Amino acid sequence: MEKFKRYAIILSLIESLMKNNSWCGETHIQKTTYFLQEMLRVPLGFEFILYKHGPFSFGLSDELMAMRANMMVELKSHLPYGPSIVPGPTSGQLKRLFPNTIKKYCKEVEFVAKEMGSYNVADLERVATALYVILKTENREKTSDMASYINKIKPHISVEKAHIALEQEATINHKAKELIQSP
Amino acid sequence: MKKHIHEIRDPVHVFIRLDTDEREVLDSRPFQRLRYIHQLAMTYLVYPGATHRRFEHSLGVMELADRVYNVVTNPHNIEHESVRNILPAYESIEHKYWRRVLKIAALCHDIGHLPFSHAAEEELLPEGWDHERITAEIIRSDEMQEIWKKMTVTPKADDIIKIAIGPKKAKEQTFTDWETILSEIIVGDTFGVDRMDYLLRDSLHSGVAYGKFDQYRLIDTLRILPKSEDENASTEPTLGLAIGGIQSAEALLWARYFMYSQVYFHPIRRIYDIHLQDFLQNWLKDGKFSTNIENHLAITDNEVIVEIRKAALDTKHPAHVPAKHIIEHKHFKVLYRRNPIDQDINSDAVKFVYNAACKKYGDKLVRFDEYTQKGESQNFPVLDHGKILQSIGLSVTLKKVPVVAAGFVFVERDRLDNAKKWLEKEHDQIIEPEGEKD
Repeated sequence: MEKFKRYAIILSLIESLMKNNSWCGETHIQKTTYFLQEMLRVPLGFEFILYKHGPFSFGLSDELMAMRANMMVELKSHLPYGPSIVPGPTSGQLKRLFPNTIKKYCKEVEFVAKEMGSYNVADLERVATALYVILKTENREKTSDMASYINKIKPHISVEKAHIALEQEATINHKAKELIQSP
Repeated sequence: MKKHIHEIRDPVHVFIRLDTDEREVLDSRPFQRLRYIHQLAMTYLVYPGATHRRFEHSLGVMELADRVYNVVTNPHNIEHESVRNILPAYESIEHKYWRRVLKIAALCHDIGHLPFSHAAEEELLPEGWDHERITAEIIRSDEMQEIWKKMTVTPKADDIIKIAIGPKKAKEQTFTDWETILSEIIVGDTFGVDRMDYLLRDSLHSGVAYGKFDQYRLIDTLRILPKSEDENASTEPTLGLAIGGIQSAEALLWARYFMYSQVYFHPIRRIYDIHLQDFLQNWLKDGKFSTNIENHLAITDNEVIVEIRKAALDTKHPAHVPAKHIIEHKHFKVLYRRNPIDQDINSDAVKFVYNAACKKYGDKLVRFDEYTQKGESQNFPVLDHGKILQSIGLSVTLKKVPVVAAGFVFVERDRLDNAKKWLEKEHDQIIEPEGEKD
């Protein structure tokens, strides 16, 4: 996908997250983009590795910086957490130039924002790590083994919370499949 | 009596101390090669003092990494149980092991650099290769394994690689929280000592004051902290700061901004880099550097400079033209630079001007360069009287540090006047953005 079309989808995701009362910091954008790409099959082409708060894409992080440099998004700081990323002065340019791309993936973007917009960073970290482990193990492992593995790679996530995250992931996944199959 | 600690004089850190085992790394062929790799490529053509090499930078990174390790693992500087749990016990064998790995990783983090530390690795290396991969290959090589084996505390090559190149480049590896922290000490976007050293060193040698900050205060106040204590946020550990260091951190991040905008993205420095890339692509076999380790170790800036001088005199040399641009200081000149007014109309304005100029003058006479800062660095946890707060909420200036972005279109110097007139006339039409067609 072309860089500017990708920017248009990220901007659309940010706006949808905000509509769903998300804090919309970088972690929120990172994890929801991970779901958008890996679960909803939007072909953004980011490579995610297990890093900050679960799956993380350095490519996406760099693109958010580029969007800030281009004034498409900007930082808004408010306590007690890290900054929110909000549409910037040139965001209108993207919407004007790429209406078809935004429309094409609007259903998937709205789904992710609606399902995960209310999640805080701790929820996002757990559920995104759950999806990461499921994809990595091709969902062949028992739930209890996957929960233990999550606890092993992220020791601050307890086995009990990892179990809950795996259940949340399964619920979202079920709804996502219905959405993908719907006309 | 045989000396076990060796001191090396350094213009930035005064003395750099290393033990006999580390001295073996210093004496190795891959490390000695760094004596002949300029830290800032051909920046010395713009800032004549900037002739320093990767060799002394790598020593500086090791010195700073050791100081950071001492501070952040000191039990007096650890307040949170969750952090204590991921750290090896102070002065235990494991603690000594990781100090060794960190220092060796710091020493070796740049050994895979191409001549002139060339950034255009995508163009100058075969697909799938970058200097970090070459670094990893050298650390794994038989020659270096011999050195690791003889050390009193023996580091594993894979551990050195992980810490030296970090999760961004060691994608196939899984990092524990502790390994992530250690790699952050070297290559982290905010408090990585690689950056600390190069800002101080590049600033000193290029003769600009922008890169300076209070490294002593900054390092003394570094802490490993949970990202937050709030159960709604992540408690994952990361490198943060005690409140007393916040002004030093502000100075570091502004120093980075000024150094990028004034030195690293100086347009003449950038065009010399492009002419050098043109030279290398025309001279090297298939336009690429070899990734064979012996070939890599055999080529430094010296060999490249000798060939550039030869090529500049030889009209039949395949890289004669770019060599002449460098040797005779007849670089292409800036026709257009990224600016906020045009960005507001078209975020891709630099590329649009480049494409139009290529159509008008042909792509041999026009060059393009664009860069945007990578990695977010302004937000980190700060320990303030036992509570963890976010830097960006505490500091008025941190949120105002601009993102570094530069973009240039260069044109062959004899065409400059004509091209300027052409661009002035056609500018509005050229940068008119195009909507999507499908």
